[in-house]
This record gives sequence, structure tokens and C-alpha cells, in this order.
Amino acid sequence: MERLTRRDALATGAVSLAGLAGLAGCTGGASGGNDGSGSDDGSTGGDGSMDADSATPTATSTPTQTPVPGGRVAVGADALGDHEAAQGIEGQPVLGDVAAARGVVVVFEDPSCPRCATFERRTARRIRDELVPAGDAALVSRTVPIVYQWGEPAVAALEAVFARDATAFWSLLEFYFTAQSGLSSENVLDRTESYLAEETDLDAAGVLADVESGASADAIDVDLAAADAAGVRGTPTVFLFRDGEYRTKASGSVSYELVTGALGL
Amino acid sequence: MTTSSSRFGLDRLPLPPLPTRVADWRLLARTARLVVSVPAYAAVALVAAVVGLTLFVGSQNLALVGDVVVGGSLPLSTRLTVLAELYPFVGTSYGPVTGGALVVVSAMIGVNVAMAVYHLREHELTAVEGGGSLAGVLLGTLGAGCAACGSAVLAGLLSLVGASGTLLLPFDGLEFTALAAVAVLLSSYWLADGMRGGEVAGCPVDL
Repeated sequence: MERLTRRDALATGAVSLAGLAGLAGCTGGASGGNDGSGSDDGSTGGDGSMDADSATPTATSTPTQTPVPGGRVAVGADALGDHEAAQGIEGQPVLGDVAAARGVVVVFEDPSCPRCATFERRTARRIRDELVPAGDAALVSRTVPIVYQWGEPAVAALEAVFARDATAFWSLLEFYFTAQSGLSSENVLDRTESYLAEETDLDAAGVLADVESGASADAIDVDLAAADAAGVRGTPTVFLFRDGEYRTKASGSVSYELVTGALGL
Repeated sequence: MTTSSSRFGLDRLPLPPLPTRVADWRLLARTARLVVSVPAYAAVALVAAVVGLTLFVGSQNLALVGDVVVGGSLPLSTRLTVLAELYPFVGTSYGPVTGGALVVVSAMIGVNVAMAVYHLREHELTAVEGGGSLAGVLLGTLGAGCAACGSAVLAGLLSLVGASGTLLLPFDGLEFTALAAVAVLLSSYWLADGMRGGEVAGCPVDL
């Protein structure tokens, strides 16, 4: 019940602001029964290049290699101070070292959000491949199911996978973004199970059992609460920290150059 | 029996004309072309278009603009880079269709503002003409956001009344940008219609 309330609060907040300022990202529609996969310009893929990337997504789509193994934000980490976006950040999925990196990017994202897929393809991938290995930045993912309905089981699966294998979390997240246009509430769990069985060593059936039993609810609540507290009104929203201090936030599928510029990297 | 509209005299207000004939559209095109053929008004149109586009994209990231572009301690070149990355076709916040739609609507707003300024200087601007311009800018701002985030935001909006966004708005939010374009076009037509009988740059507005 509490989960629903928080999600509704996010969605309602998003709607209330959309009319004034608009949003460059996706906002909650989960409560409205919309279960499709949308895009920003009427095509199947968000922007032109996405169509080429994911025109025919399959369960065996191979994500790019993650150069740095996935980890968990260290328990007791206070590198980001007491900013709301860092609320409950301990144990969250991270690439790189939050305490040691000059810049930290905390991204609130939804696997069913088309603009998040664009952010992943255009920006997060470069952060992962260029900044994280060099120790210049750490990337923290906070998944919140606020866009399409199939995002809820997808986020639950991500949390269940993360509980077992931090690196597999990132590959499953990338799978969702790559295969996004072909996913729906009807097939997301089947596709997830196929992907995990074929591409990882995880117990796919166990992950699915956790999703169906609601075992990930608490973990999802932590991210939803942080998103609510931080004023997230849509996804993706990135919070940028430099040398442990909050610098700014940006909404939408902002570019790699914007992120590095704002962080002074 | 006195109705509320007649009590306030609203029933005597003429409805603004709509561009229903080819000649109306030709009048609009000719007037717009004549106005922007004057270098000063072309500059006004350009500045207004850039301001409009900046309003659209900046309104979606006010915190970023305040923290990094206006405030903060980054070098000027970095600030300008961050600002530029917010724009369509420079950054990655917009796809080609939404980005193109925003640029087109911004250009239309630029021409509309130039026409309004010309009309204001030469004649008296009516409420309908001025209101149309304002509505175009507001709808353009809304369209900028909705066209960027796709059907999801419409799903959120429409879910409040139990409707399905994908059924009613199949173009993922570009409907708002189209509405903005219509509002600006109507406003521009009313401006052109108001200038009918006059001259722009020495040329008669009437065909």
C-alpha cells in the first residue's frame, strides 16, 4: 500500500509540473493503465539512432561489456553528504568508487522509460566506459518504476538480480533498455527469465519467484522514497556530485558532454 | 431573459476570423514575408525565436541553468557548453522529430513576435492578436516538454481522468507541439488580418 502511495505521489507531482515547465524525461503513468512502450517522437525508438539499435530486440541481445564490475555503494558511505538523492544509497548498484571518484552521477531511471534508454545509450555507456575505469566518476543507478506498468516487474527483477549478483544487474538493465520496444507486462517476465537463463549463471526461476512474491518491495521502496525526497519528477533524472558535494541535477536524456561539463571533468 | 453572455455584452463581440480560404493563407505568408524582409524585424524574429527555444529547453532544467550556467564557478566556455547541450541537435535530450518540431515552432514564434511588434508600432494590437501570441508561446513550452518525454507524460495526465494516452494521443506528445503551431499560426493570421489595407516595407499587405 505504501509503495502505491509513493508511486502515485511521484506521478502526480510529475503531472502537476508538466504543464508549466515540461519535462525532458518520462513521468509516471503507471497508475493509468497504460502498458505500452512509447517514444518521444512517434517512432519505436525514442530518437533516430535508437531505431537502428533496437529495431528487432531479442531475448538474446548482447549488451556491451561492462569494463568495471558492478558493486554496491559501501555501507556507511557518506561521500555524498546528506543530499536527498543519496538517501538510502548504501548498498545501491554502483560502477566505480563513490568515495574516491571526483564526480558521482546518481541516476534515477526506469527500464520502461524511452528517454532512459536514450540516456543509457548516449551517455551512461560513455560514463561507464570512459570515466569509471579512469576513476573520474562513479555511476549509481536507482531504479524507480514510474512510467509503464511493465517497469514494475522489471524493477523487481533488477532488485532480485542485484541481491544475487551486482554485475548481472547492469547487464539486465542494459537488456531492458535494448529490448524495450518489444517488452510489455505480458512478456517481460518470460523475456527476463530467458535472458537470465541464457546470459547469466543466476537461478532465473529463483529471480522470478522473488518477483512474484514481492521480495524486492523494500528495496524498491528505498529508491522511491529517495526519488520522492529529492524531487524527482520524471526519468531519467541525474544528480551530479563533485568532490562529495552536490552540484546540480538535470532531467531528461542529457548528453555526456553536459554531464562532464557540469562536473568539471 | 438575460443570459450571462448578453449581460456582459459578449454576444456582441465578433468571433475572430479563421483562415479558411487559400487567399487567407497567402495573406499570412505575404505579410510575414514582408515584415521579416525589413532587417530590423528580421533581427527581432531571430532573437524572439532563439529566446523562445531557450525558454522551451531551459524551462525543463531550471536547476541546472541556475546551478551551473548562471551560478557556480565553472569557466565561461564550460557554462556555454552545458547550455548548448540543452538544445535540440546539439545535446541528446531530443530526438530528430521532436527537436525539429521545436525549432520550427520557435521559428514561427519568432516571426509571430516580429509581426506583433510591427503591428504594435504601426497600429493598435487587439486582445485577440496579442492573446494568440501568448497562447502560442505557452503551448510551445508545454509541447517542448511533452514532445520530449513522449506518451508517458500524456499517460500520466490522462490517467487522472481514466483515459489511455496511447489511444487518444498516438503521436507521443507531439500533439502539444502541433497545438502550439496552430495557435501561433492563428495568431499570425489575425495579425496579418489586422494589418490588411496597410503597407509593410512599402508594399501593400492586401493581395
